[in-house]
Amino acid sequence: MAVQNVKIRLRNITKSFYAKGKNTPVLGDISLDVYENEFLVLLGPGQCGKTVILNIIAGLEEQSSGTIEFSGGRPKMGELGVVFQKYALFPWKTVMGNVEMGPQLKHVKKEVRREKAQSYIDLVGLTGFERALPKQLSGGMKQRVGIARAYSSESDIMLMDEPFGALDAQTRYSMEEEILKIWEKKKRTVIFVTNNLEEAIYLGDRIILLGDTPTVVRKEYVPDIPRPRNYTDPAFLALRNEIAENTDLVL
Amino acid sequence: MKKAVKNTFYAVLPALSIVVILIGWVLLSMKEGSLIPSPAETWSRFVFVMTNPIANATLPVHILVSLRRVLIAMVLAVVVGITLGVLFGWSPVFRGLVMPAFELVRPIPPIAWLPLIIIWCGIGELAKIVIVFIGAFTGIVINTHAGMKSIDPELIKAGRSLGATKAQLLSHVAMPAAFPAILAGVKTSLSAGWMCVLAAEMIAAKQGVGFLIIKGQEIGDMALIVVCMFAIGIVSMIISVSLTKLEGVLCPWQFKT
Repeated sequence: MAVQNVKIRLRNITKSFYAKGKNTPVLGDISLDVYENEFLVLLGPGQCGKTVILNIIAGLEEQSSGTIEFSGGRPKMGELGVVFQKYALFPWKTVMGNVEMGPQLKHVKKEVRREKAQSYIDLVGLTGFERALPKQLSGGMKQRVGIARAYSSESDIMLMDEPFGALDAQTRYSMEEEILKIWEKKKRTVIFVTNNLEEAIYLGDRIILLGDTPTVVRKEYVPDIPRPRNYTDPAFLALRNEIAENTDLVL
Repeated sequence: MKKAVKNTFYAVLPALSIVVILIGWVLLSMKEGSLIPSPAETWSRFVFVMTNPIANATLPVHILVSLRRVLIAMVLAVVVGITLGVLFGWSPVFRGLVMPAFELVRPIPPIAWLPLIIIWCGIGELAKIVIVFIGAFTGIVINTHAGMKSIDPELIKAGRSLGATKAQLLSHVAMPAAFPAILAGVKTSLSAGWMCVLAAEMIAAKQGVGFLIIKGQEIGDMALIVVCMFAIGIVSMIISVSLTKLEGVLCPWQFKT
């Protein structure tokens, strides 16, 4: 097995929220390494703090204690690609406007950012929809815009917060295929959060199973199943059953 | 076939309501001729005031004078109202400092300010503009603040994740997100401003539609009063329709499907 470079290192991360005079611990001592260009899945039940971990990595929230190290130093805001569950597209901007928003905020020249944005719109298969408003797109198409927008940050780290959680089952399957194709074409370090066990096995190079209160890393799985993976493959089903035994996820 | 009949029926309904109003109007004017002018009488008065001046101005000029007052006051109300509303939504410190004073002043009807405004500003143009400003700006502040409060936090998070500075978050995310609410506030406030200018003109003015109504009352010209009332209604309707169209142009994401 080739030696993998650690891209992000989390050590003893805890997070508590203070509300109504009470300190509620959400994350309890999370330590994990994320390797360069791997597709890492954080799997856990709803409200277990998966998004909090992602927010802490993105710099959108501060941890209560513990450290995070990035190879090459902590990226500034806007230097990480983030994909949100409910798309979080700017409704007043077109597809092109949304995808080029990050570079626009960084004052990148219009021609340069347009050209880059177009390449990401092409990458996610939305060529021809550049001038459409988010309201005119289906859920799957909206999330493609979200992915293109995250890619336009030019970051080598992509944080995806249950990006297919709001989609119907059919669209979800096709988007899972699509995200792997995009990732194969343009390799990035992906941290993908989900509460869907099958999705985790279908996508992940590694799966970190989260659970308990406050949340800790319960176990780590490395699916030894070649891609493209098949939901009915015996190895797939065996891993699914193995993880299910260790989780409270509703299957 | 059935659908065609249904469509025709619904298309005829508005015309039917106008016909009923006209018939009622004719009957009332026949019964109370000295108090209610007939539609024919009102029409001929309308034709007259469109071309012949009353108090040195024709009806269109009186309308323009009133509109000019509203427009000047609205520009000021939009600038001050949006600024206050945005600051209320964006800065907790500013909100804490200024909101109580605003809440104290907000419920006072603009007309209640009139005596004080006349003492402070006289009975010239400034007094009327100030009254319209008071009537219009509170609505803009309230709507802008409401728009700022209802911004989807995910959009702010998305903006931050894209590297927006605080100023960029305000200009590129918060303001556009709140824009439909701001525009709705401007729309409501314009109607309120139009009402205020008429009230102010009825008390102290030498020109304007409000002044013309009072003139009609003074000389017992019922047809002139009715013409002015129609003019007010039609101008309000034009303003409202124009702003709705403008809303469609400025906020296409609210309407396009």
